[in-house]
Amino acid sequence: MKIQTSHFGELEYGEDRIIRFAKGILGFEELKEYLLLKSDDELFYWLTSIDKPDIVFPLIAIRLIDSEYIEKPDSEAFGIVKLDPDPSNITVNLKAPVYINQESKEGVQTILDEEKYPISYNLFTKEAD
Amino acid sequence: MLILTRRLDEEIVIDSNVRIKILGLSENQLKIGIVAPQNVKIYRGELFDKIIKEMEEAIKKSSEPVESVSKLKVNKIKTIK
Repeated sequence: MKIQTSHFGELEYGEDRIIRFAKGILGFEELKEYLLLKSDDELFYWLTSIDKPDIVFPLIAIRLIDSEYIEKPDSEAFGIVKLDPDPSNITVNLKAPVYINQESKEGVQTILDEEKYPISYNLFTKEAD
Repeated sequence: MLILTRRLDEEIVIDSNVRIKILGLSENQLKIGIVAPQNVKIYRGELFDKIIKEMEEAIKKSSEPVESVSKLKVNKIKTIK
Protein backbone atom coordinates (compact mmCIF):
# COMPACT_ATOMS: atom_id res chain seq x y z
CA MET A 1 0.00 0.00 0.00
CA LYS A 2 1.19 3.50 -0.76
CA ILE A 3 0.57 6.88 0.83
CA GLN A 4 1.65 10.40 -0.09
CA THR A 5 2.98 12.02 3.12
CA SER A 6 3.83 15.63 3.86
CA HIS A 7 7.23 14.94 5.41
CA PHE A 8 8.47 11.78 3.75
CA GLY A 9 6.96 11.95 0.27
CA GLU A 10 5.48 8.74 -1.09
CA LEU A 11 5.76 5.86 1.34
CA GLU A 12 5.05 2.21 0.97
CA TYR A 13 3.66 0.55 4.08
CA GLY A 14 2.45 -2.85 5.18
CA GLU A 15 -0.72 -3.75 7.05
CA ASP A 16 1.43 -4.32 10.17
CA ARG A 17 2.37 -0.63 10.35
CA ILE A 18 -1.19 0.61 10.76
CA ILE A 19 -2.11 2.06 14.17
CA ARG A 20 -5.85 1.78 14.82
CA PHE A 21 -7.75 4.34 16.86
CA ALA A 22 -11.06 2.57 17.51
CA LYS A 23 -12.65 5.81 18.75
CA GLY A 24 -10.67 8.08 16.48
CA ILE A 25 -9.09 11.31 17.68
CA LEU A 26 -11.16 14.16 19.14
CA GLY A 27 -12.70 16.15 16.34
CA PHE A 28 -11.58 13.54 13.80
CA GLU A 29 -13.62 10.56 14.94
CA GLU A 30 -14.19 9.26 11.43
CA LEU A 31 -10.44 8.74 10.88
CA LYS A 32 -9.43 5.46 12.51
CA GLU A 33 -6.20 4.39 10.81
CA TYR A 34 -2.87 6.14 11.09
CA LEU A 35 0.82 5.64 10.45
CA LEU A 36 3.29 6.71 13.13
CA LEU A 37 6.24 8.10 11.16
CA LYS A 38 9.60 9.26 12.43
CA SER A 39 13.05 9.77 11.05
CA ASP A 40 15.88 8.67 13.39
CA ASP A 41 17.42 12.09 13.86
CA GLU A 42 14.16 13.87 14.61
CA LEU A 43 12.51 14.68 17.89
CA PHE A 44 9.01 14.53 16.46
CA TYR A 45 6.77 11.74 15.25
CA TRP A 46 4.20 12.36 12.55
CA LEU A 47 0.89 10.64 13.17
CA THR A 48 -0.49 10.61 9.64
CA SER A 49 -4.04 9.68 8.71
CA ILE A 50 -4.16 6.97 6.07
CA ASP A 51 -7.54 8.10 4.73
CA LYS A 52 -6.62 11.80 4.72
CA PRO A 53 -2.83 12.09 4.58
CA ASP A 54 -3.02 15.89 4.91
CA ILE A 55 -4.24 15.32 8.48
CA VAL A 56 -0.95 15.04 10.36
CA PHE A 57 -0.49 15.34 14.11
CA PRO A 58 3.09 16.14 15.11
CA LEU A 59 3.81 14.19 18.32
CA ILE A 60 6.50 14.07 20.96
CA ALA A 61 7.12 11.32 23.51
CA ILE A 62 5.98 12.86 26.79
CA ARG A 63 8.58 10.90 28.79
CA LEU A 64 11.11 13.43 27.41
CA ILE A 65 9.20 16.16 29.26
CA ASP A 66 7.74 14.48 32.34
CA SER A 67 9.13 11.25 33.80
CA GLU A 68 6.08 10.90 36.04
CA TYR A 69 3.36 11.41 33.47
CA ILE A 70 0.24 9.23 33.68
CA GLU A 71 0.91 5.86 32.07
CA LYS A 72 -1.23 3.29 30.34
CA PRO A 73 -0.12 -0.36 30.33
CA ASP A 74 2.11 -1.30 27.34
CA SER A 75 1.53 2.09 25.75
CA GLU A 76 3.61 5.18 25.26
CA ALA A 77 2.17 8.63 25.92
CA PHE A 78 2.59 11.22 23.18
CA GLY A 79 1.68 14.89 23.24
CA ILE A 80 0.33 16.68 20.17
CA VAL A 81 2.75 19.43 19.21
CA LYS A 82 1.80 22.83 17.82
CA LEU A 83 4.77 23.85 15.68
CA ASP A 84 5.85 27.41 15.00
CA PRO A 85 8.62 29.13 13.01
CA ASP A 86 9.76 30.58 16.36
CA PRO A 87 10.74 27.59 18.53
CA SER A 88 9.86 29.49 21.71
CA ASN A 89 6.24 29.39 20.55
CA ILE A 90 6.19 25.61 20.03
CA THR A 91 3.82 24.02 22.53
CA VAL A 92 2.74 20.51 23.53
CA ASN A 93 -0.73 19.51 24.60
CA LEU A 94 -0.30 17.66 27.89
CA LYS A 95 -4.03 17.73 28.62
CA ALA A 96 -5.19 15.47 25.80
CA PRO A 97 -2.42 12.88 25.25
CA VAL A 98 -2.40 10.16 22.65
CA TYR A 99 -1.44 6.71 23.96
CA ILE A 100 -0.04 4.27 21.44
CA ASN A 101 0.63 0.58 21.97
CA GLN A 102 3.22 -0.27 19.33
CA GLU A 103 2.82 -4.02 19.92
CA SER A 104 -0.94 -4.27 19.47
CA LYS A 105 -0.95 -1.25 17.13
CA GLU A 106 -3.77 0.39 19.05
CA GLY A 107 -4.12 4.04 19.86
CA VAL A 108 -6.41 6.02 22.13
CA GLN A 109 -6.71 9.69 23.04
CA THR A 110 -7.64 10.72 26.57
CA ILE A 111 -8.49 14.01 28.24
CA LEU A 112 -6.91 14.11 31.69
CA ASP A 113 -8.78 15.56 34.64
CA GLU A 114 -5.65 16.75 36.42
CA GLU A 115 -5.48 20.53 36.57
CA LYS A 116 -1.67 20.52 36.41
CA TYR A 117 -1.45 19.46 32.77
CA PRO A 118 -1.77 22.44 30.41
CA ILE A 119 -3.14 22.41 26.86
CA SER A 120 -0.26 24.61 25.71
CA TYR A 121 3.00 23.65 27.41
CA ASN A 122 6.14 25.39 26.09
CA LEU A 123 8.30 22.62 24.68
CA PHE A 124 11.67 24.35 24.79
CA THR A 125 13.48 26.22 27.49
CA LYS A 126 14.23 29.86 26.77
CA GLU A 127 17.98 29.73 27.30
CA ALA A 128 20.23 28.19 24.67
CA ASP A 129 21.97 24.99 25.69
CA MET B 1 -31.70 22.73 20.28
CA LEU B 2 -34.19 21.03 22.54
CA ILE B 3 -35.13 23.25 25.46
CA LEU B 4 -36.65 21.78 28.63
CA THR B 5 -37.63 23.47 31.87
CA ARG B 6 -36.70 21.52 35.00
CA ARG B 7 -37.08 22.23 38.72
CA LEU B 8 -34.70 21.41 41.55
CA ASP B 9 -34.27 17.63 41.98
CA GLU B 10 -35.87 16.90 38.62
CA GLU B 11 -34.05 14.84 36.03
CA ILE B 12 -33.51 14.39 32.32
CA VAL B 13 -32.88 10.94 30.86
CA ILE B 14 -30.91 10.54 27.63
CA ASP B 15 -30.86 7.25 25.72
CA SER B 16 -32.13 5.35 28.78
CA ASN B 17 -28.64 5.17 30.35
CA VAL B 18 -27.68 8.78 30.99
CA ARG B 19 -29.44 10.69 33.78
CA ILE B 20 -28.89 14.37 34.45
CA LYS B 21 -30.22 15.80 37.69
CA ILE B 22 -30.55 19.40 38.85
CA LEU B 23 -28.94 19.35 42.31
CA GLY B 24 -28.72 23.00 43.18
CA LEU B 25 -29.60 26.47 42.01
CA SER B 26 -28.12 29.79 42.93
CA GLU B 27 -28.03 33.22 41.34
CA ASN B 28 -25.84 32.38 38.35
CA GLN B 29 -24.79 28.81 38.98
CA LEU B 30 -26.45 25.51 38.45
CA LYS B 31 -25.22 22.33 40.08
CA ILE B 32 -25.78 19.26 37.93
CA GLY B 33 -25.33 15.58 38.72
CA ILE B 34 -24.71 13.18 35.85
CA VAL B 35 -24.98 9.40 35.97
CA ALA B 36 -23.68 7.73 32.81
CA PRO B 37 -21.90 4.54 31.75
CA GLN B 38 -18.08 4.51 31.85
CA ASN B 39 -17.77 4.77 28.07
CA VAL B 40 -19.72 8.03 27.97
CA LYS B 41 -17.11 10.77 28.21
CA ILE B 42 -18.15 13.95 29.98
CA TYR B 43 -16.23 17.21 29.58
CA ARG B 44 -16.73 20.83 30.46
CA GLY B 45 -17.76 22.46 27.17
CA GLU B 46 -15.20 25.25 27.19
CA LEU B 47 -12.32 22.82 27.87
CA PHE B 48 -13.47 20.47 25.13
CA ASP B 49 -13.74 23.31 22.60
CA LYS B 50 -10.29 24.59 23.53
CA ILE B 51 -8.73 21.16 23.01
CA ILE B 52 -10.40 20.74 19.60
CA LYS B 53 -9.20 24.20 18.55
CA GLU B 54 -5.65 23.43 19.70
CA MET B 55 -5.64 20.21 17.68
CA GLU B 56 -6.92 21.90 14.55
CA GLU B 57 -4.12 24.47 14.90
CA ALA B 58 -1.59 21.67 15.42
CA ILE B 59 -2.65 20.12 12.10
CA LYS B 60 -2.51 23.49 10.33
CA LYS B 61 1.02 24.09 11.60
CA SER B 62 2.25 20.55 11.07
CA SER B 63 4.19 21.53 7.95
CA GLU B 64 6.25 24.24 9.66
CA PRO B 65 9.98 23.50 9.31
CA VAL B 66 11.53 21.89 12.39
CA GLU B 67 15.22 21.64 11.42
CA SER B 68 16.16 24.36 13.89
CA VAL B 69 14.87 22.60 16.99
CA SER B 70 17.41 19.79 17.21
CA LYS B 71 19.83 21.89 19.27
CA LEU B 72 17.23 23.18 21.69
CA LYS B 73 16.72 21.92 25.20
CA VAL B 74 13.40 20.33 26.14
CA ASN B 75 11.59 22.12 28.95
CA LYS B 76 11.22 19.30 31.47
CA ILE B 77 8.68 19.18 34.26
CA LYS B 78 10.57 18.98 37.50
CA THR B 79 8.87 17.05 40.24
CA ILE B 80 8.97 18.76 43.59
CA LYS B 81 9.45 16.30 46.39
